[in-house]
Amino acid sequence: MSGNDLILNGISVDNTFAEAFPMKATRIVVTAHRVEWARHAGVTATGFATSVIACGCEAGIERELGPDETPDGRPGVSLLLFAMSGKELAKQLERRVGQCVLTCPTTAVYAGIDPGPSVSGYGDRPPEGAPPGLGRPGAGQGEAIGLGKNLRFFGDGWQTSKVIGGRRYWRVPVMDGEFIAQETTAVVKGVGGGNLLLLARDTDAALDAAEAAVAAMRRVPDVVMPFPGGVVRSGSKVGSKYPALMASTNDAFCPTLVGLAKQSELDERIGCVMEIVIDGLTGAAVGEAMRVGMHAVIDRGADSGLLRISAGNYGGKLGPFHFPLRRLLSAAEGASA
Amino acid sequence: MNGHRLTLRQRLPLRLDLRGVLPGALAALDLAAAERLPVAHGREWLPLAECFTLESFEVEQPTLHFIGDLARVDHLGWGLDGGEILVDGPVGDHLGSTMRAGTIRVRGSAGDLAGVEMAGGELHIEGDAGHFVASTLPGSMDGMRGGLICIHGRAGDRLGDRMRRGSVIVGGDVGDFAASRLVAGSVLLGGRAGAHPGYGQRRGSVVWLQPDAAPEPPATFVPGLGNTAVFWQLFARDLAGIGERHLAGQPLADLLTALPARRPQRWRGDLAVDGHGEWLLPR
Repeated sequence: MSGNDLILNGISVDNTFAEAFPMKATRIVVTAHRVEWARHAGVTATGFATSVIACGCEAGIERELGPDETPDGRPGVSLLLFAMSGKELAKQLERRVGQCVLTCPTTAVYAGIDPGPSVSGYGDRPPEGAPPGLGRPGAGQGEAIGLGKNLRFFGDGWQTSKVIGGRRYWRVPVMDGEFIAQETTAVVKGVGGGNLLLLARDTDAALDAAEAAVAAMRRVPDVVMPFPGGVVRSGSKVGSKYPALMASTNDAFCPTLVGLAKQSELDERIGCVMEIVIDGLTGAAVGEAMRVGMHAVIDRGADSGLLRISAGNYGGKLGPFHFPLRRLLSAAEGASA
Repeated sequence: MNGHRLTLRQRLPLRLDLRGVLPGALAALDLAAAERLPVAHGREWLPLAECFTLESFEVEQPTLHFIGDLARVDHLGWGLDGGEILVDGPVGDHLGSTMRAGTIRVRGSAGDLAGVEMAGGELHIEGDAGHFVASTLPGSMDGMRGGLICIHGRAGDRLGDRMRRGSVIVGGDVGDFAASRLVAGSVLLGGRAGAHPGYGQRRGSVVWLQPDAAPEPPATFVPGLGNTAVFWQLFARDLAGIGERHLAGQPLADLLTALPARRPQRWRGDLAVDGHGEWLLPR
């Protein structure tokens, strides 16, 4: 699985693939009077959302938006949320927006994937000033789930709605003025669990490589890296010796278990491994983020201390989306792995 | 898809009811069948060709193009659910009433009850409109419930009475009781209003495009305090888009496209009813 035939800039790229699985996804846009408040709301709403194993959803800030990219002309952030079912996603979205966006000063929240018109009318089009740069799927794609639909009841009867451009927006009186929330956002099929494993000489080298990769991958639209700083050090395998656990440490990639574990993917040169997990709205977006991430670390060369790039898979048993590392690189370079 | 051009043969002696004469219906017929289509004229039925000269033409979407003085033609575009109706000349009552989709554009004036219980689509009247625009059919609780009505000229009394959803834009003056008993939706007024605007307004927005022309708010309205700038930007940007798309070159378009840069003074009312309505006076 990990024949080391391809060496780029001194870094070995394993002949393996990342394995990903289908998820339900949505995007929301949070704006605020100042960008730092949109950031606060975004960070809070996507907090404790690293893995569906115990968080209910995986989420992250996709990118910051300028005033010319948001429906209300204020700075904002776009957030991506992923869950294993549409029902769970709706639950997580309502809780997170209700507790972290509604509560955050000056914020407003809008659908980042157009759910289509709320009502029949002339407005079968996105609202004026709708974010143009989000690469969102077409209008009306996906099932609509509540955004402001239930949060409006916080208004205790003082809430009002307005249909603008065919989309319904709720106006909930709050202490700083009004909380504006679009009624629904759309759920689309997403892809979760794309990943890269960065095998390095030591901790500094592994962190430097992971940080460089994440910085580059954050410029790719339609993806988020949901773990802290985009990086996970506790990569997992499916199952455990303890029946109650559905996942446990990826012993094949733990440097401290070389020579102890039944099977190790590492050798004595590897002192530290970091994983980057990628969730995206499409398989193409996940693949592109992996390609960009690999290029970012390969460009730094082997002198950076990064020795190998690999990926996590479960022999094709976990999910239908496979991302072969060498094919991702060759797709861009025209080289064969 | 077929378009049909219908030119009025002569001034009508009685009222003509064009319910059922819709772009989609005629597009499904050949010219001879369309000419035989029965229409109500006074108390009798006449074939359509007795009133109009029909010509067909090729066009992308089903279209009817009426030419002539249709001031005695009622229910034009009644229940329209798609396609386009163009009218060169004035039309009678109930223009576009109960329409659900499609576009009606009148290069002239319309009678009373235009856009009554309209639920979608666009209705453009380049001249004046009569009373009860966007209001209710007799016995009904809700008026217009979706879509867009643009009146470039003036409108009569009871504009938007019991209107529930959608937008009505009037470039000129309006009569008495404008936006009376408004349930929801948006009424934009470019000129002056007669007596008792916003009487019994429950919810919805009345925007006075020229605040100097706005009357003193009634005693049952109170100043709206607090920051509503986010909502205003959403609303004003959409209205500016409507101005650019539908009213290019008209003075009304300038008023609409300038809205996002203006800051509205806000009044809440009518406290005699729900009091959740608002008047917006962008300065």
